[in-house]
Amino acid sequence: MKISSIEDLRRIKEEAQKRTLLREGKADYRVVVHMGTCGIAAGAREVMSAILDEIAKRGLTNVMVTQAGCIGLCDREPLVSVEKGEERILYGDITPDRARQIIASHLVNGQIVGDWVVHAEGRARR
Amino acid sequence: MTGLAVYEEIDEIIGKHQEEKTPLLSILQEIQERWRYLPGDVLGYVSRKLDIPSSMVWGVATFYSFLKTEPAGEYVIRVCCNAPCHVNGSVDVLKTLQKELGIKEGETSRDGKFTLETTSCLGVCGVAPAMMINDVTYGNLSEDRIREILALYR
Amino acid sequence: MAEQERCQVLLCAGAACISSGALKIKEALVRELQKNALDNEVRLIETGCVGPCNLGPLAIIYPEGVFYQKLTPEDAKEIVEEHLLKGRVVERLLYQPPQEERKKFLREIDFFDKQLKIALRNCGFINPLNIEEYIARDGYLALSRVLTEMTPEEVIAEVKKSGLLGRGGAGFPTGLKWELTRQAKGYPKFIICNADEGDPGAFMDRSILEGDPHSVIEAMTIAGYAVGAEKGYVYVRAEYPLAVERLEYAINQAREYGLLGEDILNSGFNFDVEIRIGAGAFVCGEETALIASVEGKRGMPRPKPPYPAQEGLWGKPTVINNVETYANIPPIILQGADWFRSIGAENSKGTKVFALAGDINNTGLVEVPMGISLGEVIYDLGGGIRGGKKLKAVQIGGPSGGCIPVGYLNVKIDYDSLKELGAIMGSGGLIVMDEDTCMVDLARFFLEFVQDESCGKCTPCRIGTKRMLEILQRITQGEGREGDIERLEDLANQIKTTALCGLGQTAPNPVLSTIHYFRDEYEAHIREKKCPAVVCRPLFVSPCQHACPLGINIPGYISCIKEGDYLGALQIIREDNPLPSVCGRVCHRLCESKCRRGDMDEPVAIDDLKRFVADYARQNRIALPVVMDRKRDESVAVVGSGPAGLTCAYYLARLGYSVTIFEALPVAGGMLAAGIPSYRLPREALEYDINQIKAMGVKIELNKAVGKEISWKEVREKFDAVFLGIGAWKSAPLGIPGENLSGVIAALDFLRDFNLGGHVEVPRRAVVVGGGNAAIDAARTLLRLGAEEVNVVYRRTRGEMPAISEEVEAAEEEGVIFHFLMAPLEVIGENGKVKGIRLQRMKLGEFDRSGRRRPIPVEGAEAFWECDMVVEAVGQIPEVESLGEMLSVDHRGNILVDRYSLSTSLPGVFAGGDAIGEEATVVHAMALGKKAAFSIHQYLRDLKPEEEEVIIRPERPKILEEPPVLQEIPRVKPPELPVRERVCSFSEVKLCLEEEDARREAERCLRCDLEKVLKKYQEIVMAEEEVQ
Repeated sequence: MKISSIEDLRRIKEEAQKRTLLREGKADYRVVVHMGTCGIAAGAREVMSAILDEIAKRGLTNVMVTQAGCIGLCDREPLVSVEKGEERILYGDITPDRARQIIASHLVNGQIVGDWVVHAEGRARR
Repeated sequence: MTGLAVYEEIDEIIGKHQEEKTPLLSILQEIQERWRYLPGDVLGYVSRKLDIPSSMVWGVATFYSFLKTEPAGEYVIRVCCNAPCHVNGSVDVLKTLQKELGIKEGETSRDGKFTLETTSCLGVCGVAPAMMINDVTYGNLSEDRIREILALYR
Repeated sequence: MAEQERCQVLLCAGAACISSGALKIKEALVRELQKNALDNEVRLIETGCVGPCNLGPLAIIYPEGVFYQKLTPEDAKEIVEEHLLKGRVVERLLYQPPQEERKKFLREIDFFDKQLKIALRNCGFINPLNIEEYIARDGYLALSRVLTEMTPEEVIAEVKKSGLLGRGGAGFPTGLKWELTRQAKGYPKFIICNADEGDPGAFMDRSILEGDPHSVIEAMTIAGYAVGAEKGYVYVRAEYPLAVERLEYAINQAREYGLLGEDILNSGFNFDVEIRIGAGAFVCGEETALIASVEGKRGMPRPKPPYPAQEGLWGKPTVINNVETYANIPPIILQGADWFRSIGAENSKGTKVFALAGDINNTGLVEVPMGISLGEVIYDLGGGIRGGKKLKAVQIGGPSGGCIPVGYLNVKIDYDSLKELGAIMGSGGLIVMDEDTCMVDLARFFLEFVQDESCGKCTPCRIGTKRMLEILQRITQGEGREGDIERLEDLANQIKTTALCGLGQTAPNPVLSTIHYFRDEYEAHIREKKCPAVVCRPLFVSPCQHACPLGINIPGYISCIKEGDYLGALQIIREDNPLPSVCGRVCHRLCESKCRRGDMDEPVAIDDLKRFVADYARQNRIALPVVMDRKRDESVAVVGSGPAGLTCAYYLARLGYSVTIFEALPVAGGMLAAGIPSYRLPREALEYDINQIKAMGVKIELNKAVGKEISWKEVREKFDAVFLGIGAWKSAPLGIPGENLSGVIAALDFLRDFNLGGHVEVPRRAVVVGGGNAAIDAARTLLRLGAEEVNVVYRRTRGEMPAISEEVEAAEEEGVIFHFLMAPLEVIGENGKVKGIRLQRMKLGEFDRSGRRRPIPVEGAEAFWECDMVVEAVGQIPEVESLGEMLSVDHRGNILVDRYSLSTSLPGVFAGGDAIGEEATVVHAMALGKKAAFSIHQYLRDLKPEEEEVIIRPERPKILEEPPVLQEIPRVKPPELPVRERVCSFSEVKLCLEEEDARREAERCLRCDLEKVLKKYQEIVMAEEEVQ
């Protein structure tokens, strides 16, 4: 694990990039719950548990759930990003119920839930 | 709160910070974390043990708002009353808490459970008004949400 | 079998799906399942109609809940092989929403598009608990390059060259700081990261520590290498437990990976980082106080020099930078100083993170290139002001900063430009404040903060700010005195020059900058005991009453209505407003904008209630008596019988003076009679109000224009004082060619001609130029007269129209066509008559002094419209020529008056209303008339100082102390005439409330006044008892 040269670092970088970008083959979606203090204060933890629960309930295996820091739009916290390849959809004002609906609609059926989108990047913009 | 066991624990805390050059603040923080406040006799003990004048130990203990020399409740509720929270209704948050807990700002509830304080900016202005209970921050507070949150601690 | 069942396929077997072939699909599915030996694991279920029959045949696959549409038998194979066998959703068959629905999420905002993320590059994108995600985005690459390819001097040179300035507040060049520390004698040296971010409203440091802790660790290590330090401390405030937790985790990870510790990357360089947690003291954000706190002492600042670069932590050379500064370092090393220099403004390179807070739609963090305008940040990124309110000012730089008023939205955000305006970049907190913010209260708030956080070491900060706070508290409690503003300025300047540290030196900034930009607001508090934003509670009884320019006791009359005492209500209104029938119809309702009920659901329909009682009295032919003061010898002339003149006359008559009104037109009422169309203000209502004023002995001489029928000299000689309420009747010209053509008419001339019964041409196609109430009145009148098409062109957008928005909506309902962002270029004529108009398309450019975006022409985008009438409604100016040259006017032709007494340059002559160029609304004109009446009284009494004034004891206020019962009652909407009946007549559009509705509406009042009224009542009772 110890990095002792710039080559080591490069190697870890490449491996990590592969992991995060190609998602090791199976993960089609990466769901990011933005969990800075502001997000948590607005209820991001509850959203996170709802997402994990819903994914387990539906037996989805192609989804990777992770947390990240604040993305800046604190007014719309809790925020959840759903990424797929280059596409990145940011949902705002998410409650546990809405999170479940996003799983059902976006992750399972590929339907972006327009009402809660605050920003879209990549293919979805067109 | 004198007692051999207590002093042993304090010795242990002081021991942990042996390596540090000027550990006073860290030691006091840890003592407070353990007993929720800094009792006078403990401060005296720390002063003797570190060979720091008692005036200086007291000086530090009373300078910082997070350090307390009076017993505090199990849960310290800190309400942010800074500008962004202020314009979003922190006054009402404080009022609701006072009503719910039956204590005023700076007081501890009779059962020793809650202490109510105001604090400087909690840095979650995007979800103002906000408060912090011990280490957990809560935002977008409304009367209902405050009641829900308090229920978690009661 | 049930145990093994892994999947269910629900196939819709509703009639519609069967008709579109569902059974064939079922067969195909069964076949495919058997082929793949899945028939034991997958159960096929036929269901009843699922609903969206137009999408059929359809299937839903559980447990995931995938919804497939418009299936054919050929799809069965793919569903089974791909989805059921391999677990891959067949995207091609998923439901595709129609185009409009797909467009729906494009409602999104510009929030992210104008940003450029350097310091926040990873925040929200990587998992902060996973070092490899950081590494995947070039993390620690800068460190490895520094350690393997660069000398410490080269690192410092690169940072210096980048032009990076400290992001914590003072803006000291980072590279220079590093160089000074490297050159300083003393060992060991230290690196400190200041994460004691305490400015209210700033939270970028927290966000970086929580979202990207490794960037700070990496940068501190680079700094350590550059200056020759082996130890770093991050001082985090106690309010940020999550930041501490994540940073701690990251430090341990970095150690594990050998990126902290000994011999990093085999370079022989050692560096480690420790966390120090603050304990709640704002002053510790000051670097010397912070160092004292890391040393375990009371966090008090000490005088500088020596600077930390020479004598810092434990007296050793120390680099101390804040979190955001460090977060910029790795990208600078990786992409080079030249790249960094290419971003930003002249002397401020790179980006800055701002925390948007306050009354703004998108609160949060944004990172923008330096040099972006303040307006762009607030409107394009911040999404504008909450609740459609108006922006008033922005507090930038926290309690040490200053405020920037709405007139400066074009200011470029960089260190130099902000300093010029008396603000500072500070840590980047932007607190946006709308029209409901009181600037005096704001200054008090920040000073209270400083008082709270002053460490107490130096006198100017400890005592000086206390004295300032006392003055401000006095002002906000309505006890301000003349000279207070100067005292504040004096103290502020002394504190600035003598305080020990940055906290004290900058503490007076909010006071100085609010005085600088909002001096009149301070003066209003001190001289008039008014808080224009209706915030300072001790200054008012209820917000609505305070917001009303006339100061009507609104809760008082509403409570009377609640009790059914309508005449009591009218009596209360007429105390402060002699034209209730008029105001109940055409007022623009400042009171309702401050109504506290509006915070819950909707404001109380205050104005409609006023109209209700006025109409009640008129319909029942009740005239209320007015108690007059006493009879006095002096006489006063009022020129003009508009709202200002009538109101002035009313109060003068009550005070006992003989009043004569000279009116140039054949009817009384001024703009009320000749400007406002009767569908908004029926003449009977106006007459009812005027008749009551006449009944008090006020003479109104019609057809008597001063300067024509009666000379100005005569007026001045005959009367002891004169009030000029002449209004503003001259339309401002458009200033374009073709204005003299027949068919070009000024809106006010047109309205006057029509309202006074004169002949007006009715055009086929009219173009009205302007966006104010006169433009809308003219347009709606034209429509009623039978014009085929009425267009209104306005050079800005709808949101910026000065006209009352309800009027604009009503006009649109009736068929007036609005065109925004269009300005006239030329009126085209034929044989001396209007044939058309050439228009220029506009777009919104920079911000102007009013905080609105200024319209600028779109090159080459012109339009020509045929029309036979052009109505000019772009502004009004008073006609003052007949009043002689001695009367001073401003550059726009408005009469110059003293703001407080309304006296003009001529002794004994006062002026008010539209003629002095203040806000041109009915209620403002009336308020000025009222104010002038009392000034005239004062003026006349001062001429006879020997005369004794009888002081009348305040009457016991009528008290209906019943507190309100909070109920959910929706705001009443007064009935309106249907559009088709409106457009062919001049009948009143808005109708009166029914009695029942009025009483229910009155129930909605929250009685904000009760507390104070009861107190006053007690005082009076006590005073009475004492006398007895």
